[in-house]
Amino acid sequence: MRLVLALEALLFVADSPATPDELAKALGVPVFEVEEALEKLGGRLHHTSALQLVRIAGGYQVCTKPEFAEAIAKFTQPQTHKLSRSLMEVLAVVAYKQPITLAELDDVRGVDSGYGVRQLVERRLVCEIGRRSTPGRPILFGTTQQFLHAFNLQSLEDLPVVNFESDNLPKAIGMEHPPDQPSLLDQEENSPSGDASLV
Amino acid sequence: MSALVQPNPQQIAAVFGVIEPPPIHVECETFQGPLTTLFIMVRDHKVDLLGVPLGPICEAYLRYLLETTEPHLESHAVAVSALCYLLEKKAWMLIPIEQDEEPDDDGLFDEVEPYIHEFLPAIDDLLNRREDREHLFFRTGENSNVYELPFETSEVTSADLAKAFEKLLSKAKPDPPRPVSDQRRSLSEQIILVLKSLPDTPQALEEFVTGEFTRSEVVWWFLALLEIIRLGQASVTMDDGIVKFCKKQSRSAPA
Repeated sequence: MRLVLALEALLFVADSPATPDELAKALGVPVFEVEEALEKLGGRLHHTSALQLVRIAGGYQVCTKPEFAEAIAKFTQPQTHKLSRSLMEVLAVVAYKQPITLAELDDVRGVDSGYGVRQLVERRLVCEIGRRSTPGRPILFGTTQQFLHAFNLQSLEDLPVVNFESDNLPKAIGMEHPPDQPSLLDQEENSPSGDASLV
Repeated sequence: MSALVQPNPQQIAAVFGVIEPPPIHVECETFQGPLTTLFIMVRDHKVDLLGVPLGPICEAYLRYLLETTEPHLESHAVAVSALCYLLEKKAWMLIPIEQDEEPDDDGLFDEVEPYIHEFLPAIDDLLNRREDREHLFFRTGENSNVYELPFETSEVTSADLAKAFEKLLSKAKPDPPRPVSDQRRSLSEQIILVLKSLPDTPQALEEFVTGEFTRSEVVWWFLALLEIIRLGQASVTMDDGIVKFCKKQSRSAPA
Protein backbone atom coordinates (compact mmCIF):
# COMPACT_ATOMS: atom_id res chain seq x y z
CA MET A 1 0.00 0.00 0.00
CA ARG A 2 2.88 2.29 0.80
CA LEU A 3 4.24 1.83 -2.73
CA VAL A 4 0.88 2.89 -4.20
CA LEU A 5 0.88 6.03 -2.05
CA ALA A 6 4.48 6.78 -2.97
CA LEU A 7 3.61 6.43 -6.65
CA GLU A 8 0.67 8.75 -6.20
CA ALA A 9 3.00 11.32 -4.64
CA LEU A 10 5.50 11.05 -7.48
CA LEU A 11 2.83 11.34 -10.14
CA PHE A 12 1.32 14.30 -8.33
CA VAL A 13 4.53 16.31 -8.62
CA ALA A 14 5.44 15.08 -12.13
CA ASP A 15 4.67 17.64 -14.83
CA SER A 16 5.35 15.21 -17.68
CA PRO A 17 4.65 11.52 -18.27
CA ALA A 18 6.79 9.25 -16.10
CA THR A 19 7.83 5.82 -17.29
CA PRO A 20 7.72 2.77 -15.00
CA ASP A 21 11.51 2.64 -15.25
CA GLU A 22 11.88 6.19 -13.95
CA LEU A 23 9.41 5.55 -11.15
CA ALA A 24 11.09 2.28 -10.19
CA LYS A 25 14.46 4.01 -10.11
CA ALA A 26 13.14 6.78 -7.87
CA LEU A 27 11.50 4.35 -5.46
CA GLY A 28 14.25 1.73 -5.54
CA VAL A 29 11.92 -1.16 -6.38
CA PRO A 30 11.68 -3.52 -9.36
CA VAL A 31 9.75 -2.33 -12.42
CA PHE A 32 7.16 -5.13 -12.18
CA GLU A 33 6.22 -4.00 -8.66
CA VAL A 34 5.75 -0.47 -9.94
CA GLU A 35 3.52 -1.72 -12.74
CA GLU A 36 1.39 -3.67 -10.29
CA ALA A 37 1.13 -0.68 -7.99
CA LEU A 38 0.23 1.58 -10.91
CA GLU A 39 -2.66 -0.75 -11.72
CA LYS A 40 -3.88 -0.55 -8.13
CA LEU A 41 -3.49 3.22 -8.10
CA GLY A 42 -5.41 3.53 -11.36
CA GLY A 43 -8.26 1.47 -9.95
CA ARG A 44 -8.40 3.44 -6.71
CA LEU A 45 -8.38 6.81 -8.45
CA HIS A 46 -11.05 5.63 -10.86
CA HIS A 47 -13.46 4.89 -8.02
CA THR A 48 -12.68 7.45 -5.38
CA SER A 49 -11.04 10.50 -6.93
CA ALA A 50 -11.59 13.41 -9.27
CA LEU A 51 -8.25 12.44 -10.79
CA GLN A 52 -7.41 9.54 -13.04
CA LEU A 53 -4.25 7.74 -14.08
CA VAL A 54 -3.62 7.77 -17.83
CA ARG A 55 -1.03 6.25 -20.11
CA ILE A 56 0.10 9.01 -22.39
CA ALA A 57 3.14 9.88 -24.50
CA GLY A 58 5.08 6.83 -23.42
CA GLY A 59 4.49 7.14 -19.68
CA TYR A 60 2.00 7.52 -16.87
CA GLN A 61 0.51 10.77 -15.68
CA VAL A 62 -2.28 11.89 -13.39
CA CYS A 63 -4.93 14.17 -14.82
CA THR A 64 -8.44 15.32 -14.00
CA LYS A 65 -11.48 13.36 -15.11
CA PRO A 66 -13.31 14.69 -18.20
CA GLU A 67 -16.51 15.39 -16.25
CA PHE A 68 -14.77 18.25 -14.44
CA ALA A 69 -13.37 19.79 -17.61
CA GLU A 70 -15.87 22.61 -17.86
CA ALA A 71 -15.33 23.88 -14.33
CA ILE A 72 -11.55 23.59 -14.64
CA ALA A 73 -11.55 25.45 -17.95
CA LYS A 74 -13.55 28.26 -16.37
CA PHE A 75 -11.16 28.36 -13.43
CA THR A 76 -7.82 28.15 -15.26
CA GLN A 77 -8.85 29.77 -18.55
CA PRO A 78 -6.25 27.89 -20.57
CA GLN A 79 -4.92 29.31 -23.83
CA THR A 80 -6.05 26.98 -26.58
CA HIS A 81 -4.66 27.08 -30.09
CA LYS A 82 -6.92 25.58 -32.70
CA LEU A 83 -5.27 23.65 -35.48
CA SER A 84 -6.59 24.57 -38.90
CA ARG A 85 -7.54 21.93 -41.42
CA SER A 86 -4.39 22.53 -43.46
CA LEU A 87 -2.19 22.20 -40.38
CA MET A 88 -3.98 18.98 -39.50
CA GLU A 89 -3.25 17.68 -43.00
CA VAL A 90 0.45 18.42 -42.62
CA LEU A 91 0.52 16.92 -39.14
CA ALA A 92 -1.25 13.74 -40.24
CA VAL A 93 1.13 13.21 -43.16
CA VAL A 94 4.17 13.78 -40.94
CA ALA A 95 2.77 11.44 -38.29
CA TYR A 96 2.19 8.60 -40.75
CA LYS A 97 5.09 9.08 -43.11
CA GLN A 98 7.86 10.16 -40.78
CA PRO A 99 10.70 10.67 -41.31
CA ILE A 100 9.61 12.83 -44.23
CA THR A 101 11.09 15.74 -46.17
CA LEU A 102 9.32 18.94 -47.10
CA ALA A 103 9.37 18.00 -50.79
CA GLU A 104 7.68 14.69 -50.06
CA LEU A 105 5.06 16.46 -47.98
CA ASP A 106 4.38 18.77 -50.90
CA ASP A 107 4.01 15.74 -53.17
CA VAL A 108 1.45 14.12 -50.89
CA ARG A 109 -0.60 17.28 -50.43
CA GLY A 110 -0.13 18.75 -53.89
CA VAL A 111 0.50 22.18 -52.36
CA ASP A 112 3.34 23.94 -50.59
CA SER A 113 3.62 22.83 -46.95
CA GLY A 114 6.48 25.04 -45.74
CA TYR A 115 4.28 27.40 -43.77
CA GLY A 116 2.41 24.53 -42.13
CA VAL A 117 5.59 22.80 -41.08
CA ARG A 118 6.98 26.03 -39.59
CA GLN A 119 3.77 26.51 -37.63
CA LEU A 120 3.85 22.96 -36.31
CA VAL A 121 7.53 23.29 -35.39
CA GLU A 122 6.69 26.47 -33.49
CA ARG A 123 3.97 24.60 -31.62
CA ARG A 124 6.43 21.78 -30.91
CA LEU A 125 4.25 19.17 -32.54
CA VAL A 126 6.82 18.52 -35.27
CA CYS A 127 10.60 18.77 -35.19
CA GLU A 128 13.67 18.11 -37.28
CA ILE A 129 14.87 14.58 -36.69
CA GLY A 130 17.81 14.45 -39.07
CA ARG A 131 18.78 14.75 -42.67
CA ARG A 132 18.38 12.27 -45.50
CA SER A 133 21.63 11.12 -47.03
CA THR A 134 20.64 12.09 -50.56
CA PRO A 135 21.87 15.02 -52.65
CA GLY A 136 21.05 18.26 -50.90
CA ARG A 137 20.72 16.45 -47.57
CA PRO A 138 17.09 17.52 -47.08
CA ILE A 139 15.78 17.94 -43.54
CA LEU A 140 13.67 15.08 -42.22
CA PHE A 141 10.71 15.93 -40.03
CA GLY A 142 8.94 13.82 -37.45
CA THR A 143 6.46 14.23 -34.62
CA THR A 144 7.45 15.08 -31.05
CA GLN A 145 6.54 13.82 -27.62
CA GLN A 146 4.33 16.89 -27.34
CA PHE A 147 2.34 15.59 -30.35
CA LEU A 148 1.60 12.35 -28.49
CA HIS A 149 0.60 14.32 -25.43
CA ALA A 150 -1.59 16.78 -27.31
CA PHE A 151 -3.50 14.00 -29.08
CA ASN A 152 -3.77 11.66 -26.12
CA LEU A 153 -1.63 8.96 -27.70
CA GLN A 154 0.52 6.48 -25.84
CA SER A 155 2.77 5.94 -28.87
CA LEU A 156 2.66 6.27 -32.65
CA GLU A 157 1.31 2.72 -32.77
CA ASP A 158 -1.94 4.09 -31.39
CA LEU A 159 -2.57 6.04 -34.59
CA PRO A 160 -5.55 4.62 -36.48
CA VAL A 161 -4.66 2.26 -39.31
CA VAL A 162 -4.84 3.86 -42.74
CA ASN A 163 -4.79 1.72 -45.87
CA PHE A 164 -2.84 3.65 -48.44
CA GLU A 165 -3.28 2.67 -52.05
CA SER A 166 0.24 1.59 -52.87
CA ASP A 167 -0.05 2.81 -56.49
CA ASN A 168 -0.41 6.35 -55.28
CA LEU A 169 2.70 6.30 -53.17
CA PRO A 170 5.38 8.57 -54.57
CA LYS A 171 8.60 6.81 -55.41
CA ALA A 172 10.52 9.03 -53.05
CA ILE A 173 8.43 8.02 -50.10
CA GLY A 174 8.84 4.72 -48.46
CA MET A 175 8.40 3.57 -44.93
CA GLU A 176 12.13 3.55 -44.37
CA HIS A 177 11.62 3.35 -40.66
CA PRO A 178 8.65 1.96 -38.81
CA PRO A 179 6.50 4.64 -37.21
CA ASP A 180 7.40 3.50 -33.73
CA GLN A 181 10.91 4.85 -33.92
CA PRO A 182 12.74 5.97 -30.79
CA SER A 183 11.29 8.81 -28.81
CA LEU A 184 11.83 12.06 -30.61
CA LEU A 185 12.14 13.82 -27.30
CA ASP A 186 15.34 11.90 -26.70
CA GLN A 187 16.64 13.12 -30.02
CA GLU A 188 15.74 16.65 -29.11
CA GLU A 189 17.73 16.36 -25.95
CA ASN A 190 20.69 14.98 -27.85
CA SER A 191 20.63 17.73 -30.43
CA PRO A 192 23.52 20.21 -30.28
CA SER A 193 21.23 23.12 -29.46
CA GLY A 194 19.44 21.14 -26.83
CA ASP A 195 16.11 21.97 -28.40
CA ALA A 196 15.70 20.66 -31.90
CA SER A 197 12.13 21.82 -32.19
CA LEU A 198 13.08 25.46 -32.24
CA VAL A 199 14.17 25.77 -35.81
CA MET B 1 32.87 52.90 -77.58
CA SER B 2 33.63 55.84 -75.35
CA ALA B 3 31.52 56.98 -72.47
CA LEU B 4 29.51 59.79 -73.96
CA VAL B 5 26.98 60.06 -71.18
CA GLN B 6 28.75 61.02 -67.99
CA PRO B 7 26.76 60.44 -64.79
CA ASN B 8 26.43 63.56 -62.70
CA PRO B 9 27.66 63.73 -59.07
CA GLN B 10 24.14 63.19 -57.71
CA GLN B 11 23.83 59.96 -59.69
CA ILE B 12 27.20 58.78 -58.42
CA ALA B 13 26.29 59.67 -54.84
CA ALA B 14 22.99 57.79 -55.18
CA VAL B 15 24.83 54.66 -56.31
CA PHE B 16 27.90 54.68 -54.12
CA GLY B 17 26.65 56.52 -51.04
CA VAL B 18 28.58 59.27 -49.36
CA ILE B 19 32.03 57.90 -50.20
CA GLU B 20 33.30 59.19 -53.49
CA PRO B 21 34.73 56.48 -55.75
CA PRO B 22 38.32 56.99 -56.91
CA PRO B 23 38.87 58.31 -60.45
CA ILE B 24 40.06 55.13 -62.12
CA HIS B 25 40.31 55.59 -65.86
CA VAL B 26 39.83 52.43 -67.88
CA GLU B 27 40.67 51.96 -71.50
CA CYS B 28 39.87 49.01 -73.69
CA GLU B 29 38.72 48.38 -77.23
CA THR B 30 35.07 48.90 -76.47
CA PHE B 31 35.06 51.36 -73.58
CA GLN B 32 37.01 54.38 -72.50
CA GLY B 33 36.17 56.32 -69.38
CA PRO B 34 35.97 56.15 -65.60
CA LEU B 35 35.19 52.87 -63.83
CA THR B 36 32.25 54.59 -62.13
CA THR B 37 30.68 55.40 -65.49
CA LEU B 38 31.12 51.85 -66.71
CA PHE B 39 29.52 50.52 -63.55
CA ILE B 40 26.47 52.79 -63.82
CA MET B 41 26.03 52.14 -67.54
CA VAL B 42 26.21 48.37 -67.08
CA ARG B 43 23.79 48.56 -64.20
CA ASP B 44 21.35 50.60 -66.30
CA HIS B 45 21.75 48.19 -69.25
CA LYS B 46 23.25 50.90 -71.47
CA VAL B 47 26.39 48.87 -72.20
CA ASP B 48 26.57 45.24 -73.22
CA LEU B 49 29.03 43.84 -70.71
CA LEU B 50 29.69 40.79 -72.88
CA GLY B 51 31.48 43.06 -75.31
CA VAL B 52 33.69 44.68 -72.64
CA PRO B 53 36.90 42.79 -71.77
CA LEU B 54 37.39 43.00 -68.02
CA GLY B 55 41.13 42.19 -68.06
CA PRO B 56 42.23 45.78 -68.86
CA ILE B 57 39.81 47.10 -66.26
CA CYS B 58 41.26 44.89 -63.53
CA GLU B 59 44.73 46.04 -64.61
CA ALA B 60 43.63 49.67 -64.35
CA TYR B 61 42.42 49.04 -60.81
CA LEU B 62 45.68 47.36 -59.79
CA ARG B 63 47.66 50.18 -61.39
CA TYR B 64 45.61 52.67 -59.41
CA LEU B 65 46.36 50.76 -56.18
CA LEU B 66 50.10 50.74 -56.90
CA GLU B 67 50.23 54.39 -57.86
CA THR B 68 48.18 55.73 -54.97
CA THR B 69 50.44 57.41 -52.45
CA GLU B 70 47.86 58.06 -49.75
CA PRO B 71 45.78 54.92 -49.35
CA HIS B 72 42.15 55.54 -48.60
CA LEU B 73 40.59 52.23 -47.62
CA GLU B 74 36.95 53.21 -48.01
CA SER B 75 37.55 54.65 -51.41
CA HIS B 76 39.40 51.47 -52.47
CA ALA B 77 36.51 49.44 -51.16
CA VAL B 78 34.02 51.32 -53.29
CA ALA B 79 36.16 50.73 -56.36
CA VAL B 80 36.61 47.03 -55.66
CA SER B 81 32.84 46.68 -55.06
CA ALA B 82 32.14 48.14 -58.49
CA LEU B 83 34.74 45.86 -60.05
CA CYS B 84 33.35 42.78 -58.28
CA TYR B 85 29.87 43.66 -59.50
CA LEU B 86 31.11 43.75 -63.08
CA LEU B 87 33.05 40.49 -62.68
CA GLU B 88 30.13 38.66 -61.12
CA LYS B 89 27.65 39.95 -63.64
CA LYS B 90 29.82 38.94 -66.54
CA ALA B 91 30.53 35.53 -65.00
CA TRP B 92 26.80 34.85 -64.80
CA MET B 93 26.34 36.04 -68.38
CA LEU B 94 29.00 33.61 -69.58
CA ILE B 95 27.43 30.58 -67.96
CA PRO B 96 25.48 28.71 -70.65
CA ILE B 97 21.73 28.61 -70.14
CA GLU B 98 20.44 25.11 -69.58
CA GLN B 99 17.92 23.93 -72.12
CA ASP B 100 14.87 22.11 -70.91
CA GLU B 101 15.52 18.43 -71.14
CA GLU B 102 13.10 16.23 -72.96
CA PRO B 103 10.84 14.32 -70.62
CA ASP B 104 12.01 10.80 -69.82
CA ASP B 105 10.01 8.00 -71.24
CA ASP B 106 10.69 5.59 -68.45
CA GLY B 107 8.39 7.49 -66.08
CA LEU B 108 10.97 7.77 -63.32
CA PHE B 109 10.20 11.42 -62.74
CA ASP B 110 6.49 11.33 -63.34
CA GLU B 111 4.63 13.80 -61.21
CA VAL B 112 2.80 12.11 -58.41
CA GLU B 113 -0.84 12.87 -57.93
CA PRO B 114 -1.56 14.25 -54.47
CA TYR B 115 -3.24 11.66 -52.31
CA ILE B 116 -4.00 13.62 -49.19
CA HIS B 117 -7.60 12.35 -49.38
CA GLU B 118 -6.34 9.01 -48.09
CA PHE B 119 -5.44 10.73 -44.82
CA LEU B 120 -8.94 12.08 -44.21
CA PRO B 121 -10.03 9.31 -41.81
CA ALA B 122 -6.78 9.77 -39.89
CA ILE B 123 -7.26 13.53 -39.71
CA ASP B 124 -10.79 13.10 -38.40
CA ASP B 125 -9.57 10.62 -35.81
CA LEU B 126 -6.83 13.00 -34.69
CA LEU B 127 -9.32 15.84 -34.40
CA ASN B 128 -11.56 13.68 -32.22
CA ARG B 129 -8.62 12.74 -30.07
CA ARG B 130 -7.66 16.38 -29.76
CA GLU B 131 -11.18 17.23 -28.68
CA ASP B 132 -11.18 14.49 -26.04
CA ARG B 133 -7.74 15.55 -24.88
CA GLU B 134 -8.97 19.10 -24.28
CA HIS B 135 -11.15 17.69 -21.51
CA LEU B 136 -8.16 16.38 -19.60
CA PHE B 137 -6.08 18.72 -17.48
CA PHE B 138 -2.58 17.88 -16.37
CA ARG B 139 -0.36 19.40 -13.77
CA THR B 140 1.94 21.73 -15.67
CA GLY B 141 4.33 22.89 -12.96
CA GLU B 142 6.23 26.15 -13.14
CA ASN B 143 6.91 25.90 -16.86
CA SER B 144 3.24 26.17 -17.71
CA ASN B 145 4.02 28.09 -20.87
CA VAL B 146 6.58 25.63 -22.15
CA TYR B 147 4.44 24.68 -25.12
CA GLU B 148 3.21 28.18 -25.81
CA LEU B 149 4.84 31.05 -27.64
CA PRO B 150 7.26 32.81 -25.31
CA PHE B 151 5.91 36.29 -26.03
CA GLU B 152 2.92 37.57 -24.16
CA THR B 153 1.65 40.04 -26.70
CA SER B 154 -2.12 39.46 -26.51
CA GLU B 155 -3.52 40.99 -29.70
CA VAL B 156 -0.22 42.60 -30.71
CA THR B 157 1.52 40.96 -33.65
CA SER B 158 5.22 40.97 -34.45
CA ALA B 159 4.42 43.33 -37.34
CA ASP B 160 2.96 45.84 -34.85
CA LEU B 161 6.12 45.61 -32.76
CA ALA B 162 8.26 46.15 -35.86
CA LYS B 163 6.17 49.19 -36.80
CA ALA B 164 6.61 50.72 -33.34
CA PHE B 165 10.34 50.06 -33.57
CA GLU B 166 10.59 51.67 -37.02
CA LYS B 167 8.69 54.71 -35.80
CA LEU B 168 11.18 55.24 -32.99
CA LEU B 169 14.10 54.48 -35.27
CA SER B 170 13.03 57.20 -37.68
CA LYS B 171 13.46 59.76 -34.90
CA ALA B 172 16.98 58.61 -34.03
CA LYS B 173 20.02 60.48 -35.23
CA PRO B 174 22.74 58.84 -37.34
CA ASP B 175 25.40 57.19 -35.21
CA PRO B 176 28.57 59.18 -34.72
CA PRO B 177 31.70 57.27 -35.71
CA ARG B 178 32.99 55.36 -32.72
CA PRO B 179 36.31 53.58 -32.25
CA VAL B 180 36.28 49.81 -32.59
CA SER B 181 37.63 49.42 -29.07
CA ASP B 182 34.87 51.58 -27.61
CA GLN B 183 33.19 49.95 -24.62
CA ARG B 184 29.59 48.98 -25.18
CA ARG B 185 26.82 48.36 -22.70
CA SER B 186 26.03 44.66 -22.29
CA LEU B 187 22.52 43.40 -23.00
CA SER B 188 21.95 42.63 -19.31
CA GLU B 189 22.96 46.18 -18.40
CA GLN B 190 20.63 47.45 -21.09
CA ILE B 191 17.81 45.25 -19.77
CA ILE B 192 18.23 46.79 -16.30
CA LEU B 193 18.13 50.25 -17.84
CA VAL B 194 15.00 49.46 -19.84
CA LEU B 195 13.32 47.85 -16.83
CA LYS B 196 13.87 51.05 -14.87
CA SER B 197 12.41 53.12 -17.70
CA LEU B 198 9.34 50.95 -18.23
CA PRO B 199 6.18 52.73 -17.04
CA ASP B 200 3.62 51.18 -14.74
CA THR B 201 0.77 52.12 -17.05
CA PRO B 202 0.78 51.31 -20.79
CA GLN B 203 2.63 53.92 -22.83
CA ALA B 204 3.86 54.16 -26.41
CA LEU B 205 7.60 53.75 -27.02
CA GLU B 206 8.06 57.45 -27.86
CA GLU B 207 6.56 58.46 -24.53
CA PHE B 208 9.09 56.74 -22.35
CA VAL B 209 12.11 56.76 -24.65
CA THR B 210 12.92 60.43 -24.43
CA GLY B 211 15.92 62.64 -25.01
CA GLU B 212 18.44 62.30 -27.80
CA PHE B 213 19.45 58.87 -29.02
CA THR B 214 21.26 57.29 -31.93
CA ARG B 215 20.06 54.51 -34.20
CA SER B 216 22.25 51.88 -32.58
CA GLU B 217 20.96 52.93 -29.17
CA VAL B 218 17.40 52.40 -30.42
CA VAL B 219 18.25 48.95 -31.74
CA TRP B 220 19.94 48.02 -28.46
CA TRP B 221 17.02 49.43 -26.51
CA PHE B 222 14.47 47.49 -28.53
CA LEU B 223 16.40 44.21 -28.25
CA ALA B 224 16.42 44.59 -24.49
CA LEU B 225 12.69 45.32 -24.51
CA LEU B 226 11.98 42.17 -26.54
CA GLU B 227 14.03 40.12 -24.10
CA ILE B 228 12.07 41.59 -21.18
CA ILE B 229 8.81 40.68 -22.90
CA ARG B 230 10.10 37.17 -23.48
CA LEU B 231 11.00 36.89 -19.81
CA GLY B 232 7.44 37.87 -18.97
CA GLN B 233 8.36 41.09 -17.16
CA ALA B 234 6.66 43.46 -19.57
CA SER B 235 3.17 43.58 -21.03
CA VAL B 236 2.34 44.71 -24.54
CA THR B 237 -1.08 45.96 -25.54
CA MET B 238 -2.64 47.58 -28.58
CA ASP B 239 -4.61 50.76 -28.00
CA ASP B 240 -6.12 52.62 -30.96
CA GLY B 241 -3.54 51.13 -33.28
CA ILE B 242 -0.64 52.15 -31.02
CA VAL B 243 1.52 49.49 -29.41
CA LYS B 244 1.94 50.26 -25.72
CA PHE B 245 4.33 48.77 -23.18
CA CYS B 246 4.33 48.66 -19.42
CA LYS B 247 5.76 46.72 -16.51
CA LYS B 248 3.96 43.47 -15.89
CA GLN B 249 2.11 43.66 -12.62
CA SER B 250 3.16 40.97 -10.18
CA ARG B 251 0.27 38.79 -9.01
CA SER B 252 1.61 38.77 -5.49
CA ALA B 253 1.84 42.54 -5.33
CA PRO B 254 -0.38 44.07 -2.67
CA ALA B 255 -3.51 45.71 -3.96
